[in-house]
Amino acid sequence: MTDAGQGGGSGPWGDRSAAAAADPEATVFAPMPSRATAATGIASTDFIGAAARNRRNTWVLVSVMIAIGAVLGYLLGATIQAGEGDPRFNPFASGLGFGFALFMIAVSLIWTLIAMRFGARIVLSLSGAKEVSQEEAPQLHNVVEEMAIAAGLPKPKVAIIETDALNAFATGMSTDKAAVAVTRGLLATLNREELQAVVGHEMGHVLNLDMRYGTAVGVYVGLIALVADGILRTMRFASLGRSRSSSGKGNGLQAILMIILLVFAIIAPIAAKFVQMAISRQREYLADATSVKLTRNSVAMISALEKLGASTVPFDKANRATQHLFIVNPFRDFSAKASALMSTHPPLAERIERLRNLKG
Amino acid sequence: MFGWIVLGLVVLVVLYAIATYNGLVAGKNQVLAGWKQIDVQLKRRYDLIPNLVEVAKDYMGYEQETLQKVIAARNTAMAATTPAAAGAAEAQLSGALGKFFALAESYPDLKANDNVRTLMEELTSTENKIAFARQHYNDSAMTQNNRIEQFPSNIVARMGGFGPHEYFEVPETEKAPVKVDLR
Repeated sequence: MTDAGQGGGSGPWGDRSAAAAADPEATVFAPMPSRATAATGIASTDFIGAAARNRRNTWVLVSVMIAIGAVLGYLLGATIQAGEGDPRFNPFASGLGFGFALFMIAVSLIWTLIAMRFGARIVLSLSGAKEVSQEEAPQLHNVVEEMAIAAGLPKPKVAIIETDALNAFATGMSTDKAAVAVTRGLLATLNREELQAVVGHEMGHVLNLDMRYGTAVGVYVGLIALVADGILRTMRFASLGRSRSSSGKGNGLQAILMIILLVFAIIAPIAAKFVQMAISRQREYLADATSVKLTRNSVAMISALEKLGASTVPFDKANRATQHLFIVNPFRDFSAKASALMSTHPPLAERIERLRNLKG
Repeated sequence: MFGWIVLGLVVLVVLYAIATYNGLVAGKNQVLAGWKQIDVQLKRRYDLIPNLVEVAKDYMGYEQETLQKVIAARNTAMAATTPAAAGAAEAQLSGALGKFFALAESYPDLKANDNVRTLMEELTSTENKIAFARQHYNDSAMTQNNRIEQFPSNIVARMGGFGPHEYFEVPETEKAPVKVDLR
C-alpha cells in the first residue's frame, strides 16, 4: 500500500550517508551559514497556523465590511420609505431597505472584480514603478527568483522605483500575475541578504494573497465612505426643508430612522477605516514571518528593517491610495505615532521585536 | 426521513474523499515538481562553472590546482549516475566552489573584473536557488506526509496508494560554516 520515497532515492543529491563520506578536509561552501541554526528555531514557530488564522480573520473582517455596507444601505432605503408616510410601514421589513442593501452588496462585488482585474497595473503606474529586464538588474532578478523558488511560486515581474527613499511593495491579484517593486535607494543601501529578506517579505504578501484581500477591503471602505458622505450631504438639505412639511403628518418613525442613519453615516466610514488598517497591520507581521520562513534568516530581516527605519530620505511618489502596500509606511510623520489605530503599518520596533522572538 | 440523513452523510463522505484524493494528487505533483526544480538548478551550475574558471585562469596563476579541482569536481558530478555517487560528487563540488570563492577574495583584480563579478553573482544565486529548491521540496514533502499520515485523510491516502516522500537531508559537512584557508 505504500511505496516509500517517490523520487527520494533517485535524485541529483543522493542520500545523506553518501554525502557524508565525501572528503572531510574539503573546504565547504555554505551560501548561508546562519540558515542551519535559524531553521531549528523556526521549527518551533507555527507559521502555517498563523497564516490560516490570518486568512480566517480577513474573511471575518471582510464580512463585517459587507455587513456595515448592507446596514447602511438598508437604513437609507428604510428612511426614504418611511418618508412616504405609508401607515403599514414596518421599519424592520422595509422593501426599499432590502433593495438598497442588495444594491450595496452587488456594487461592491462588481467593484471588487474590476479592481482585481486592473488593480495591479493601476498600482504599478501610480507608484511610478518601471519593469526592468534581467540584464538591467541581474542581482534583483536573481534574488526575486530565489524567493519565488523558496515559496514554490512562479517568478513575479520585477520593477524598480527611481527614488533614493528605501521602500518596496508587491502587487498582483493572483500568485501567477504578481509583481515586486523596490526603490533604487533600497538596491544601493541593502546588502544581498537584506535585499533577499525584503523581497521575501514581498513574496510573503504574494504567497498570502494579501493584495486580493486588501483590494477587496479597500473597495468596501471606499464604497461605505462614498455612500455615508452622500447621506450626510443630502440630510443637511433635507433637514431644513422637510422637518416642517413632514411634521404635519406626525411621522416620528422617520425622524428616529433619520437619527439612526445620521449616527451610522458618521460612524460607518470610521469603523470601516479601522477595520482596514487593522487588517493591514496584521498582514505586515505575517509577511515578516513568511520572509523568515523563506530565507531561514531572521537576522537579515531585522537588519533590513533597521536600515529602512534609519533612512530619512522622503518618498515623494507615495500617496494615500498605495501607502498600505509598502514594506514600511512611506509617510514618516505618520509612522512616528504608528501604534495609533489609523496606521497602516505596525511600528518598526514592534516588528523587530516579534522577529527576535521568532528566533527564540 | 432516516434514509435521507444516511444518504446525505454518504454524499458528504464521498465528496470529502474526492476532495482529499485530488488534494493528495496535487500535493504529490508539487513534491515531484520541487524535485525537478533542484535538477534544473544543478544543471545551471554545471553550465556556469567552466565560464567562471576560464575567466579566472588569467588572474589566478598560482591557483591552478584549485581551478582544476573545481572543474574535476564539476565533471565528476555531471557524470555521476547512482544517487550515492551524485550525492558525494555534489558535496565535493560545493566544497571546491567554496574554496574558489574564498580564494577569489584575495585577488582584487579578479574581483573587479565585470565578467567575474557577473559570473560570481550568477553562481551565488544558483547556490541559493539549489538550497531554496531543496527547502521547498522538503516543505512540500512535509505537508504531503502530514496529509498522508493524519486522520482522516490517511484513509484516502491508503486507498489511493500514496506513499510518504523522503526528505532531502542536508549532508553534515554542509552545515559547517565556511572554512577559509588563505595559506
